[in-house]
Amino acid sequence: MATANLEIKPTPVPPPAGVLIHTDDLWKTYQMGSTEIHAVQGVSISIRRNEYVAIMGPSGSGKSTLMNLIGCLDTPSKGAYWINNRLVSEMNDDELAYIRNKEIGFVFQTFNLLARATALHNVELPLIYNGTPADKRIERAKESLRLVDLAERMDHRPNELSGGQRQRVAIARALVNSPSLILADEPTGNLDSKTGVEIMALFDELHRQGNTIVVVTHEHDIAEYAHRVIQIRDGKVFKDEPTARAK
Amino acid sequence: MLFTESFKLAIDTLRSHKLRSFLTLLGVIISVSTLIAVVSVLTGTDLYVRDHISNLGSNVFAVNRFGIINNLKDWVDAQKRKRINIEDMEWLGENMRLAKAVGGASGHLSDVKCGNQSLQDVNIKGVTPNMIGIGTEQVQTGRYITDADYQRHTYSAFVGFDVADKLFPGLDPIGKEVFFRGQSFTVVGVAKTIGSAFGQSQDNFIIIPLTTFFKLFDDNRFQSVSIQIQAADAGLMQQTQDEARLLMRARRHVKYADKDDFGIVSSDALMELFHSIVGVVAYVAVIVTGVFMVVGGIVIMNIMLAAVSERTHEIGIRKSLGARRSDILLQFLVEAAMLSTAGGVFGVFIAWVGTQIMSASTPIPSTLPVWIVVTAVLVSAAVGLFFGIYPANKAARLDPIAALRAD
Repeated sequence: MATANLEIKPTPVPPPAGVLIHTDDLWKTYQMGSTEIHAVQGVSISIRRNEYVAIMGPSGSGKSTLMNLIGCLDTPSKGAYWINNRLVSEMNDDELAYIRNKEIGFVFQTFNLLARATALHNVELPLIYNGTPADKRIERAKESLRLVDLAERMDHRPNELSGGQRQRVAIARALVNSPSLILADEPTGNLDSKTGVEIMALFDELHRQGNTIVVVTHEHDIAEYAHRVIQIRDGKVFKDEPTARAK
Repeated sequence: MLFTESFKLAIDTLRSHKLRSFLTLLGVIISVSTLIAVVSVLTGTDLYVRDHISNLGSNVFAVNRFGIINNLKDWVDAQKRKRINIEDMEWLGENMRLAKAVGGASGHLSDVKCGNQSLQDVNIKGVTPNMIGIGTEQVQTGRYITDADYQRHTYSAFVGFDVADKLFPGLDPIGKEVFFRGQSFTVVGVAKTIGSAFGQSQDNFIIIPLTTFFKLFDDNRFQSVSIQIQAADAGLMQQTQDEARLLMRARRHVKYADKDDFGIVSSDALMELFHSIVGVVAYVAVIVTGVFMVVGGIVIMNIMLAAVSERTHEIGIRKSLGARRSDILLQFLVEAAMLSTAGGVFGVFIAWVGTQIMSASTPIPSTLPVWIVVTAVLVSAAVGLFFGIYPANKAARLDPIAALRAD
């Protein structure tokens, strides 16, 4: 009998209500030649709705890999991951694309705007991929740009905008689909400190409006804006504690 | 919706890389314009041949010594055939039931003189009087050959427009004398101009009674009559031809298993001969354009591969924002198809210019058949789609993280 080989996967237990991000013993393993590299080693975290969390860690700590997993750009080697009560860890490419579109708004260090497209079209992009009709698309993209104070710049291309403005376009793009989570990867890394402060103030504002924000950074100043800091070392959670700003 | 987005993107790319797009599309452009040019020339020529060359007269076919011969062996064999003479023709005329008219014609080239004017290589044609209703010549002034001319072997001449024009410029040729084969002929009529075929005047002839013709050219043992038979209507052409064949075989005592020892030439048969020549040209053209198309397709594939690696970062951004594989695939497929379709349309335009130039500078009518334009554009779109599959698939399969990291 082959009963002995039958591995029964335990059904992952869904997270309690109010939890947006939930990882259960999350692993990511890369095969480098004959050696295995464990970039993420059994991370279990829960992030509730409307939390403002910073994920910190030195380079090589696995925080980028963790961010890719949380952002549904990558799939874990082992473990379960829920976002908004959906079990993402079992999804295929197209389902992941759908989750990225619906649930996550990315803000990147390098902005990642389409250079040939106007600010408006950049903000419109996520709506294109979920089939929103053109008139609604434009309306919502304009609204989103208004939210970041860039309505009057919507016909400008990225190279006609300052760094701070570009990042605000990127934030407008992240907001346009009303995602469950705003995931920012070193959002101030390419900005001068004054502009950085402005951008972080914008995140504060978004948090106040009820958004859930996860900022990945290695800068303490930036992490201080968050209400909770998760420190990653060697692919594991090293520290998980509230900051001074938490009430 | 996504399609219109991809469509806009493709137009955008085409516009921002005009020169590169043009160079990329050279293969497709050449291929499409060659194909269309060849087809258009062939169709034009076909019309021309139908009007000017294979036009024996309406519902007319000819029974003659050689028929249509297109290889050397048949030609050698045909040399042994008996001549067809006036008696054969008259016998067919008496015995055929389906024919509306049976006439005869024979021709020979000869120099013609008139006073101190002379013309070289005029087509001297001997005819039966009923040829006026069978053949394509029409009377302009005077009269045609009559029964009386035929019966009495008179020296009457019905001359072609060019002959009249050259020998008697500005004069009324009726009643004037022309000389050939040591005989003097009286001009009794002038034909309406027919025009020229492939630069060769078709008005350079003198028509005389067939009986007189054989008196003049009797020493030539190759001189044979081409019997011209007119069917009652187009539907009876085949049956009338069959009857003529049957009667001729009976008269010649051709055995059941043997081939005809005479030939039957109809407009259809002439067109068929023409088509068999044209078919080869069309065949070669299709192969050549096919090769161009494949080359054009490979170039498109190459440029699309370059576009994919050039835009890896963009693909990463799109994927991070929720673009599925199929979205990216569609985007690049539409772009490739648009690119090659643009090449096809450009090729059509070039071909159109070419046919306009051709019809302005040659007698061949210009035609740009719609079916070939549609086919050419569709084929070029298909080529773009086909050769776009590999690059588009490559783009669609990119890993979003790696793509985002690319510059």
